[in-house]
Amino acid sequence: MPLNRDKTRNFCIIAHIDHGKSTLADRLLEATGTLKGKELQEQVLDSMDLERERGITIKSHPIRMNYEDPRGESWTLNLIDTPGHVDFHYEVSRSLAACEGALLVVDAVQGVQAQTINNMYLALEHDLEIIPVINKIDLPAARPEYVQEQFIDLLGCDPDEVLLVSAKTGEGIPDLLDAITDRVPSPEGDPKERAKALIFDSIFDPYVGAVAYVRMFAGTISKGDKIYCMGNEKRFDVGELGWFRLTRMGQDTLEAGEVGFIATGAKDVRHVRVGDTITLADEPCDHPWPGYAEAKPMVFSGLYPTDNDQYDDLLEALEKLQMNDAALSWEKESSAALGFGFRCGFLGLLHLEIIQERLEREYGLNLIATLPNVEYEVLLRDGSVQLCENPALLPEAKHIEEIREPIVHASIITPKDFVGAVIQISLERRGVQTKMEYLDPERVCIEFDIPLNELVVDYYDKLKSVTKGYASLDYEYRRHQMDDLVRLDILINGDLVDALTCIVHRENAYTWGLKLCQKLKELIPRQMFAVAIQAAVGTRVLARTSVKAFRKNVTAKCYGGDISRKRKLLEKQKEGKKRMKQVGSVEIPQDAFLAVLKVER
Amino acid sequence: MTFSADQRPERGARGPWGLYVHVPFCSSLCSYCHFVRTADHDDAVRTRYVEDLLLELRLRSRRCGILSRRERPLATVYLGGGTPSLLEPELIERLVAGTVATFPHRPDLEMTIEANPESFDDLKAGWWRELGINRVSLGIQSLQPRILKMLGRAADPAQARAALRRAGRRFDRVSADWILGPALRVDELCDELDEAVDLGVKHFSLYILEVHTGTMLAERVARGQVRLPQDEDTERVYLAAGAHLEKLGFNQYEVANFARPGAESRHNQAYWSGRPYLGLGPGAHSFWGRRRSANVADPAEWSRRLAIGSVPEDEVDPLDRTARRLERIILALRTAAGVPLDWLPGGALDVERGCELGWWTIQRERLVLTRLGFLRIDGFEAALATRLDV
Repeated sequence: MPLNRDKTRNFCIIAHIDHGKSTLADRLLEATGTLKGKELQEQVLDSMDLERERGITIKSHPIRMNYEDPRGESWTLNLIDTPGHVDFHYEVSRSLAACEGALLVVDAVQGVQAQTINNMYLALEHDLEIIPVINKIDLPAARPEYVQEQFIDLLGCDPDEVLLVSAKTGEGIPDLLDAITDRVPSPEGDPKERAKALIFDSIFDPYVGAVAYVRMFAGTISKGDKIYCMGNEKRFDVGELGWFRLTRMGQDTLEAGEVGFIATGAKDVRHVRVGDTITLADEPCDHPWPGYAEAKPMVFSGLYPTDNDQYDDLLEALEKLQMNDAALSWEKESSAALGFGFRCGFLGLLHLEIIQERLEREYGLNLIATLPNVEYEVLLRDGSVQLCENPALLPEAKHIEEIREPIVHASIITPKDFVGAVIQISLERRGVQTKMEYLDPERVCIEFDIPLNELVVDYYDKLKSVTKGYASLDYEYRRHQMDDLVRLDILINGDLVDALTCIVHRENAYTWGLKLCQKLKELIPRQMFAVAIQAAVGTRVLARTSVKAFRKNVTAKCYGGDISRKRKLLEKQKEGKKRMKQVGSVEIPQDAFLAVLKVER
Repeated sequence: MTFSADQRPERGARGPWGLYVHVPFCSSLCSYCHFVRTADHDDAVRTRYVEDLLLELRLRSRRCGILSRRERPLATVYLGGGTPSLLEPELIERLVAGTVATFPHRPDLEMTIEANPESFDDLKAGWWRELGINRVSLGIQSLQPRILKMLGRAADPAQARAALRRAGRRFDRVSADWILGPALRVDELCDELDEAVDLGVKHFSLYILEVHTGTMLAERVARGQVRLPQDEDTERVYLAAGAHLEKLGFNQYEVANFARPGAESRHNQAYWSGRPYLGLGPGAHSFWGRRRSANVADPAEWSRRLAIGSVPEDEVDPLDRTARRLERIILALRTAAGVPLDWLPGGALDVERGCELGWWTIQRERLVLTRLGFLRIDGFEAALATRLDV
């Protein structure tokens, strides 16, 4: 049956974390009869355990709904769920490109957040029809009028364009469906033109290989066609293609205007990258969909198995994760302190956390992650430029002309009471304020240019704590910029612990070094020998402290022949020790490698 | 198959064994004690308890060929607690007759009873000797009123001194327990030890006070009513007391134990050298047939299990190879004999460095801890356990 483009609507939902995107999606599935009661599980679309626990979406999960409106007309609604976190900016932009409309969902209690605004601008850039939706109107603290004002300010819309919904109770859902069919334009495109499909996500399926999630903009692709990925210059045979329900539903063709999947048989998702354009190999279209870019890692961290025997397991796990996550990059590295491991590149901190958690949880690995850092450009005296994403590998100071660090543009939305605190923590982290604007009498948007490195260390946690959780943050890479940066080393009993090396601003080196030493002193347990901890820039020791050797730890009695208790205790300790790293003669608990994160300024 | 001398400590089918009998009754509860004990008892309870002990041995004998054949010689007996000296002499007699006397024993059978000063009198001492008890272990802990009070001991210094005197007159082998805890002064402690030696003590157990969760002491420490000594102070006291005893002719033959030559506790040595022992009573431990086991700790539950004819074991620990190796090493490490160097897993201990720091010495290819080393034994054990993988 050919597609009735006039009766098709492709849309996505834009919402801040916790503003109810997934619940709203579930409600739409239910209201359109796509899901029957027993299939309805909380947050159906967030299929990863982690997604459900954290209430965030990591991979997008499109779904096709058939909807019969009250007049008896049949519609095809394609909901493209978008990742809801700043780390996945690029993915969000590709998902938006696949739609004609967006539901801009805002929590009736919390109001507009930084990320909502940025994604809204992104949606406007893609020329999407935006439907403002106020969710959670059932909550006692809901302030729909207030949020409506925010929408009117932001979008310049009429008050009656704003929909009031409770995804929890289902209130307002019929009106929302009407708005989708009435306001979102139908997709354009001619099925007879040369095929052009935008990949907005991809997953790896062990049975059919990499599967591209596509939006067809022109032409038709059929089962068995030879296709060509234009950016990646790779050719594949279409194994299966079709639509999304809860699972994939095979069809014979996909044509202009449709949203669906194409199984390529590729052996990992890096061959089928988000943002690339699929066309037919024999009759390619003239131009790919613009804006294809490979995901660029912004944050780096060394991942090491606590137990060296798990190195191969870690390698295998990373390979498996990469099959499904083209944004994850890694290369082998070794550290004198931590042994063999991997320097991994991530889109952002959340991405890092998610990968680390999945490695530990799904693959049963015990990991030590080094302090997250960024990619520096190092201009050497000989005029060459080196990229450095591992502070321990920074060339010696005498060879360096200058070090440039990535600067991001961060926007923070906060209740006005916290403006002072937000500015303070941002300035302390070398932020330069570029703009401040009242969004409404209660809320302020402050923008900074700030070194990404300062941001990844602890900024987000700090922001949440000084604003009691009310502020939201979004950021975007701007440029690399020179500053007076130095490499700060930590030495334990004279041994350099390369995994604790970091790059800091010269002015902060002393304070930072001192605090780091003190933190390590707290974290390193007393041992047989005294442990000297030093912070140094080059050969100059800036700060030192020490952990005294213990003088006694005997628990003397082996009373009444109870030998088992003692032995079992030792066996238990032995498990604990697996989470320690031996540096020289010193046992350093895993926490110490993250101590750098917990240092208060 | 060949055995080294250390692996063959009379462990054959005919080897001797030790018997431990737990007596959980106390006149009052000490603040630091975490063993199975109760202050709630009367003569009926005590009588019934002794019958239960005999029942446990009968039940075990029925299930164990070695016990039922009564062929293996008994080498040591230890009546511990609790406070065994609280038991009426008649009950001790009944207990000994129903257990010890039913087994062949070595001519030099060592039979120890633990006694607290307040329940130890001449009548009991005489009766015990008649029964063959030849070693008394007195719970003295201190001769300072303030320390005895902090520990919650029932006896005062005068009673403690009287007990020492009485024991010294009646028994050739007298041991005394001392606790190294808060507010202890080295000079006072050394004077106390001198006094005890003059009264005939030939064996000391010096225990460093440990605070176990759930004890009254732990509560008082948490409330700030008792301040525990710094490790540095405990180290100083332990080293000084050890050196003092050595001057008095006592050898330190284990982490906490000091004896004049020949006065060592053979029963405790059996624990450290891997000889089999059987424990009777709630919470008692056994090492029998290559496995360790512990009885249920609750006296009422222990008794109930016996009544329905079941062996009142709670935990059974079948030792695998790694466990046996680890035990052998950590037990040997506690003793003055030390550990043969070739038992040590590679890289676990920096032997040279430890010698330099005075933690141990190497004697006849064995690593022998010094007192300084004994104080750090938990760390060494942990290092050894970590490296030990079979």
